[in-house]
Amino acid sequence: MLSALILIPLAGALVISLWPRQWSGRQIWLVTLLVQALSLLWGGWIAWQFDIQQPDLQFVESLPWIDALGLTYQLGVDGLSMPLLLINSLLGGIAVYASSATIQRPRLYFSLVLLINTAVAGAFLAHNLLLFFIFYELELIPLYLLIAIWGGARRGYAATKFLIYTAASGALILGGFLGVAWLGGAGSFNYDVTLAQSMTLLQQSLLLGAILVGFGIKVPLFPFHTWLPDAHVEASTPVSVLLAGVLLKLGTYGIVRFGLLLLPDAWNLFAPWLAIWAVVSVLYGSLAAIAQTDMKKMVAYSSIGHMGYVLLAAAAATPLAILGTVMQMVSHGLISGLLFLLVGVVYAKTGTRDLTVLCGLLNPERGLPITGSLMIIGVMASAGIPGMVGFIAEFVVFRGSFVAFPIPTLLCMVGSGLTAVYFLLLVNRAFFGRLQVAPASDKVEPDVLLPRVAWRDHVPALALALLIVALGLQPNWLFRWSEVTTIAWRSPAIAVAQPLPLDSSEPLRF
Amino acid sequence: MAEFWMHSGWLIPAYGLLGAIATLPWSIGLIRRTGQRPAAYLNLVMTFGAFVHSIFALQRVWGQTPQELNWDWFQVADLTLHVSFELSTLNLSIVVLIAGLSFLAQLFALGYMEKDWALGRFFGLMGFFEAAMSGVVLSSSLFLSYSLLEMLTLSTYLLVGFWYAQPLVVTAARDAFLTKRIGDVLLLMGVIALSAFAGSLRFNDLYEWVKVADLTPIVATLLGIALIAGPTGKCAQFPLHLWLDEAMEGPNPASILRNSVVVTCGAYILIRLQPVVVLSPIALSLLVIIGTITAVGASFVALAQIDIKRTFSYSTSAYLGLVFIALGMEWPGVALTILLTHAIAKALLFMSVGAIILTTNSQDLTELGGLGPKMPATTACYTIAALGLVGLLPLGGFWGYCLGVDFFWGEQPVLVAVFLLVNLLTALNLTRGFRLIFLGPAQPKTRRAPEVAWPMAVPMMALLVTTLVVPWVMLRLDLLPPWQYINSTALVLLVVSGVAGVAIGAVMPLSQLLARSTQKPLRIAQDLLAYDFYTEKLYRFTVVWVVERLSVASSWFDRYIVDGLVNSVGLASLIGGESLKYSISGRSQGYILTIMVGMGLLGLLMMWNTF
Repeated sequence: MLSALILIPLAGALVISLWPRQWSGRQIWLVTLLVQALSLLWGGWIAWQFDIQQPDLQFVESLPWIDALGLTYQLGVDGLSMPLLLINSLLGGIAVYASSATIQRPRLYFSLVLLINTAVAGAFLAHNLLLFFIFYELELIPLYLLIAIWGGARRGYAATKFLIYTAASGALILGGFLGVAWLGGAGSFNYDVTLAQSMTLLQQSLLLGAILVGFGIKVPLFPFHTWLPDAHVEASTPVSVLLAGVLLKLGTYGIVRFGLLLLPDAWNLFAPWLAIWAVVSVLYGSLAAIAQTDMKKMVAYSSIGHMGYVLLAAAAATPLAILGTVMQMVSHGLISGLLFLLVGVVYAKTGTRDLTVLCGLLNPERGLPITGSLMIIGVMASAGIPGMVGFIAEFVVFRGSFVAFPIPTLLCMVGSGLTAVYFLLLVNRAFFGRLQVAPASDKVEPDVLLPRVAWRDHVPALALALLIVALGLQPNWLFRWSEVTTIAWRSPAIAVAQPLPLDSSEPLRF
Repeated sequence: MAEFWMHSGWLIPAYGLLGAIATLPWSIGLIRRTGQRPAAYLNLVMTFGAFVHSIFALQRVWGQTPQELNWDWFQVADLTLHVSFELSTLNLSIVVLIAGLSFLAQLFALGYMEKDWALGRFFGLMGFFEAAMSGVVLSSSLFLSYSLLEMLTLSTYLLVGFWYAQPLVVTAARDAFLTKRIGDVLLLMGVIALSAFAGSLRFNDLYEWVKVADLTPIVATLLGIALIAGPTGKCAQFPLHLWLDEAMEGPNPASILRNSVVVTCGAYILIRLQPVVVLSPIALSLLVIIGTITAVGASFVALAQIDIKRTFSYSTSAYLGLVFIALGMEWPGVALTILLTHAIAKALLFMSVGAIILTTNSQDLTELGGLGPKMPATTACYTIAALGLVGLLPLGGFWGYCLGVDFFWGEQPVLVAVFLLVNLLTALNLTRGFRLIFLGPAQPKTRRAPEVAWPMAVPMMALLVTTLVVPWVMLRLDLLPPWQYINSTALVLLVVSGVAGVAIGAVMPLSQLLARSTQKPLRIAQDLLAYDFYTEKLYRFTVVWVVERLSVASSWFDRYIVDGLVNSVGLASLIGGESLKYSISGRSQGYILTIMVGMGLLGLLMMWNTF
């Protein structure tokens, strides 16, 4: 059953690339969209069948593959991966919808997009370390090609940078996994939280270090983040949506699944330092975002800041905080997806993303009023305004982490305040004021008239905005999948944080 | 039926929200044929519905114990977030006030905004604004209150930024959002901490928790400061007061609400939080200090403003400063009396200001004059509003001052002096304004100045009557202090301060005060006040400067250090490859030599151990 989530997009990719007749771009677009819709429906059906009271792995599929290596095709889904799977299918569909049907070489493009969804779904489902690694590496190739072929002016540089960074990340992760399996003495790579029990603390720490850096590159965390702004700036809009919405989640998912859960003793040791790392990442990303003048770069740096919250929550590892990681991953996926879509619309209509040039896009008759309004919703959601999913996710993260690491949590909240600063700068510069899309000059120029955005181009952004508001008003739809699973993980082994004593015997370290 | 009105009382905020949603087809341009008017009517009807509903609910609740309606909105592990509303006499009275003022302001807007092309968007925002405000007041859970305060921040941003094509509006909207956001983030820190300490965020549970709370003094102080930071931003108190005066760039009907009920909402949250803030005596003293600084400072700054809206917005800050003092001294009754009387009178004042601005197309006090005989209704409104604000018998403002002065008389003579000073300065400023606007010769902009049309005149008159009956209502509700307890010395002093203010305002030479003085010391003082003690510059050279430098530094670090390192690694490997290329000669002798040397070295290395 779970295999279908991998096989549907894979089959779609094969059909599109190998079908022996010449299709028009429009047809390919339609077929891809159907495939994505099918996998979204299938994901929805699995969610429907998913027993939320059951903390264990569900729908387990296990096929021996290469026994000698300990590689088994073992799939399963639990509360951590269920929401991420849905986000993967949803954003995959949106990315396809937002792609132009008249794109160059549509066959290759759309089959690569489908391949990404295949790989990501596989990675979220895999419960074998090697299998996860295979899918993790598999996702890299299509993304490299998508940036390198359909990217902007500096696509070669950005794509190669992405490739090298992610390959290094893959190598570190592979090393970590091999170490876990061999030192743990399991003889198999099947995922098992007891795998590391027999290891010494030193061994665990070394492995955790490798795994953290490996996934930290993917998340990305400071100082391994510089590939992300470049990749985003050069990638086309749908690829950016996928990259920010889905692929970064592989990193945080990996940190929770293979760091926190697999190597709990070392995690305990590292946790305070991880919290500090999270703070540095959040503040650094947010501050760097303020100084950006490219809209896409600004959103990219904001991703660095917001993904830092996930590390903070994972470091705290209270049940609430772990739930917060899932909620923050989903909320960031939706919000950054929305923001990238809107920046894409602005770029498509004005030909620039430069904040020093754009002005007054909210103009009702000649500008982009609806895109502007959606942008305001998006930035407010990102800044953590209540009523939208960003707020409740951040609230849970902060509330869950505060009991363990009060000071780092408060500092991360400063980052949440900084989000308002840079996104307000974005809205104020680009959308308020008098409409212009060229640098101010003394010449008398005719009024700018931007082409209208068709309603069909608003659909993906509208859908995401509605989802953001709906999940913000009714977070139950978001956390119900993960609640039982994450609470069940709070076994004594991973309980890093004791709830704060309320009495003054041990005062807070302010 | 009465039961129904009460049990559905939590729905009162929904009216405004529904109205706001209903305007969407007009504001996004789906419906164009009808013009924007129907959206406005829809909102007026919804707001009137909220008004009627809250009156019925108030009738039912009158004299009864408060009713609480509660939902567990979010329940995971050890965190439960409640969405709960409390329907009490006090809450619903304020909601009636909010809905009523919102209705009048919207009616006023029908005239004031008549020529605006985005009427639908404006009314939608007003509906949203009203919904958030009545929600804040009805809420009985800190979590919900915080959420709705953020909604207020958001809608303030959008309303201030309503005319977003003007440069001043853009900075005003930005400052409004960011200064409030500073307060909100601090408040959120307090909320998170409280939620971790106390478990529940419902006010009643918090009050129970406070009795047993055992925090170290430093934690309690930090918590207290975080909790008062939010209201400090909302009520435009020092040092987060900058936004209110800039926000006057927004449309006037929104300013009516902002200066009357929005600040009231912020203060109301503080009233609800006060039993928690009590944990820290330092935070309470801080409230008094903030209040005093703002009350005195803003009163002086108001004197030096020549923008008609800005001068009165500073007086709003000053009155809210008095409220802060009262709350810091733990006299919520005084605070509420000042809040309510101030809200009504200030709304009326801003309506008359709106009428003046619309008629003369000017909000510069130096360009006005001689409007008295031309706009009698507006003049009456201004006069009554001014009387309602200051501590002169017998309208509402007097009783607020009276209570304050009475309560502080014995132990806090300094605070009594602050109250009297604020009263004097406010009276002085209102008299100054009256002379500049209504007396004197007509200027070019005020020569043809007809009285405003009925959509604006009707709400003005309605509010005028309301202001006049405020003392009578207070008397009926036993909110006035009984005569025998009134401290006659205090009362006389209060009246004297008011009369003195009016007298000084009436006789002081205005033309000289307005022109920048040629004497340097006086000019420096004038500029200091006119530019609000250079608070904006203070911001620019502290917070803004720090954030800007840090962001530039981190961006630079990113580009040249992190990326530079990465690129140099890449470059090094490329150069390595390029240079190794030249060792490939194509001659087998060279290769064999290399192999031999390598093997020799290897052999040497392996032999080394045996020696």
